[in-house]
Amino acid sequence: MTPPEIRISAEPVDIGRCKFLVSEPVHAGGVRRFASPEEAKGSPLVEAIFAIPGADVAEVIVSGGLVTVAKRSPTPWQVVGKAVGQAIRAALASGRPAVAAKLATSGGGGADDDALYERVADLFEHQVNPMVARHGGRVELIDVQDAVVMLRLGGGCQGCGMADVTLRQGIEAMLHEHVPDVKGVVDITDHAAGSNPYFAAAKK
Amino acid sequence: MPCPYGTAIPHRSMPRLLLLLPTATYRAAAFVEAARRLSVDLTVASEQPSTFAQAQPDRLLTLDFRLPEQAAAQARAFAEQVPVHGVVGVDDDTAVVAAAVAAKLRLRGNPVGAATAARDKYRQRVLLAEARVPVPRFARHRTTEDPHAVAAAARYPCVLKPLRLAASRGVIRADDPAGLVAAFGRLRAILEEPDVARCGDWAGQVLVEDFIPGPEVALEGLVTGGRLRTLALFDKPDPLDGPFFEETIYVTPSALPANAQQKIADCAQQAVTALGLWEGPVHAELRYNDRGPWLIELAARPIGGRCSGALRFGSREQGAGSSWVSLEEVVLRHALGMPLPALERERLASGVMMIPVPRGGVLREVRGLAEARAVPLVEEVAITAHPGQTLVPWPEGSRYPGFIFARGETPEAVVAALREAHRRLEFVLA
Repeated sequence: MTPPEIRISAEPVDIGRCKFLVSEPVHAGGVRRFASPEEAKGSPLVEAIFAIPGADVAEVIVSGGLVTVAKRSPTPWQVVGKAVGQAIRAALASGRPAVAAKLATSGGGGADDDALYERVADLFEHQVNPMVARHGGRVELIDVQDAVVMLRLGGGCQGCGMADVTLRQGIEAMLHEHVPDVKGVVDITDHAAGSNPYFAAAKK
Repeated sequence: MPCPYGTAIPHRSMPRLLLLLPTATYRAAAFVEAARRLSVDLTVASEQPSTFAQAQPDRLLTLDFRLPEQAAAQARAFAEQVPVHGVVGVDDDTAVVAAAVAAKLRLRGNPVGAATAARDKYRQRVLLAEARVPVPRFARHRTTEDPHAVAAAARYPCVLKPLRLAASRGVIRADDPAGLVAAFGRLRAILEEPDVARCGDWAGQVLVEDFIPGPEVALEGLVTGGRLRTLALFDKPDPLDGPFFEETIYVTPSALPANAQQKIADCAQQAVTALGLWEGPVHAELRYNDRGPWLIELAARPIGGRCSGALRFGSREQGAGSSWVSLEEVVLRHALGMPLPALERERLASGVMMIPVPRGGVLREVRGLAEARAVPLVEEVAITAHPGQTLVPWPEGSRYPGFIFARGETPEAVVAALREAHRRLEFVLA
């Protein structure tokens, strides 16, 4: 019996960031973020992505069937994406875990991240989500790793033309005010799948 | 001619930019990202309140873009609490508001009258014609006029246009009186749609102008002290001969001879001067034929849609760690009086296709994305329409379902890649 075909769809966010949607789960153990080749050790898929020649990969985030890659190189995603796709297929075909499970305390940041997670979750529940709910939106806290918050926008925020304004001018600003230890925010939303954005782009 | 409002005010701490973003813009991500890259403090003003407006009053503002002077007064009150060092509008309406704010706060910007003239196709043509800038012969009519009388006075072929709508919405060619009468009725119906009719007196008027044959180009430029610097000249390889004028492909560099490109740039400069534009981005559309360049439109804003993604400036070769600079970053830097990077466009040819609306209907699914993205030279296929969105063809429509970007060694290769990627897409409509 031949294995099911693995379908991978690349969705560039911009020249520096691209999301790869994989038809098979790549990592079932929550979200993992890798900011260097050293952090990738033990995770064959991520090691392979960091090793792509000429890409100068800066960050890899894996969650379920979603692989987000950030790079510094101006090499187009049309080139880098093929190498990422090959790495994903090879990792899934190997039969070994493509991404290592998250350690309970990784590099000393785990306990701090857990504490940050609680504070961010509280902020989202009591302040952020009641605000975005006015436009039918919601913000889901996915994880906190190395003080970087990973979140997903849903409802009216998913695919909204003003999502970046909400994210940077609203959510990120509130995080900086209320949880200043947060170092960054990563949006892992699949905005192209948003079916009911509050503001849809229309003007030229 | 002195600068009407001076230059950006010197500032000691991080400069703050007031970005005027309509909620229906395609441009939010690009401009917000540019502000991040520049590490400037950002206040985003929109015509509808953000859900975070009360929680983040320094960062989010609500302004009525239909009332520029009132919006400018609000901006001044805001700036008394939170100093603002630059203002940028991203579309035709916010370009006028930005000019009003710039005047009120003495920031770098265009005179309000110039920005207003650039927004209004009739006022623009009057000023250009007075300055002997080559423009099509034109006449303005009210929608209440007898279309048969309008048809009798027109020359053919001609083009009917609304005075303000964007993205060639409502622009229709007529080849004879019967065609004009039909087009007049169709345009009048568009202007009577509620979202348009409430916009002002201009929605009760129609421009009828000569159709200018010849290839069309788009010039992207930056005006500093009244002097236009061409940033890019795009060819439009698909003939825009009507009856409707939905854009498709833009590709740069232009294949026109150098002397033709220079005449086009000179024509655009004449138009900038005639309108009185002084500072900021411009997007001009011109035709070129055996009589030379013809100015069709000139807007006091950067290129629309997602098309700016086809442009990047500076060079990787300039040094380790350097990277491309986006058009948005150039615009923000200019507004804030920050040093500008090298404004040389990259060496590669670059193009964008505004994906045509295949037919009217509700979008269910887009197939073939992976295949389209796999086309050599294609860098991005961005579907901006969402599932469930109603796609409306031109001339009634104005929303492209998406954009395709490609880069390559030659414009011909880029255009071929864009067409092949588009061929692989299938829009499933209900």
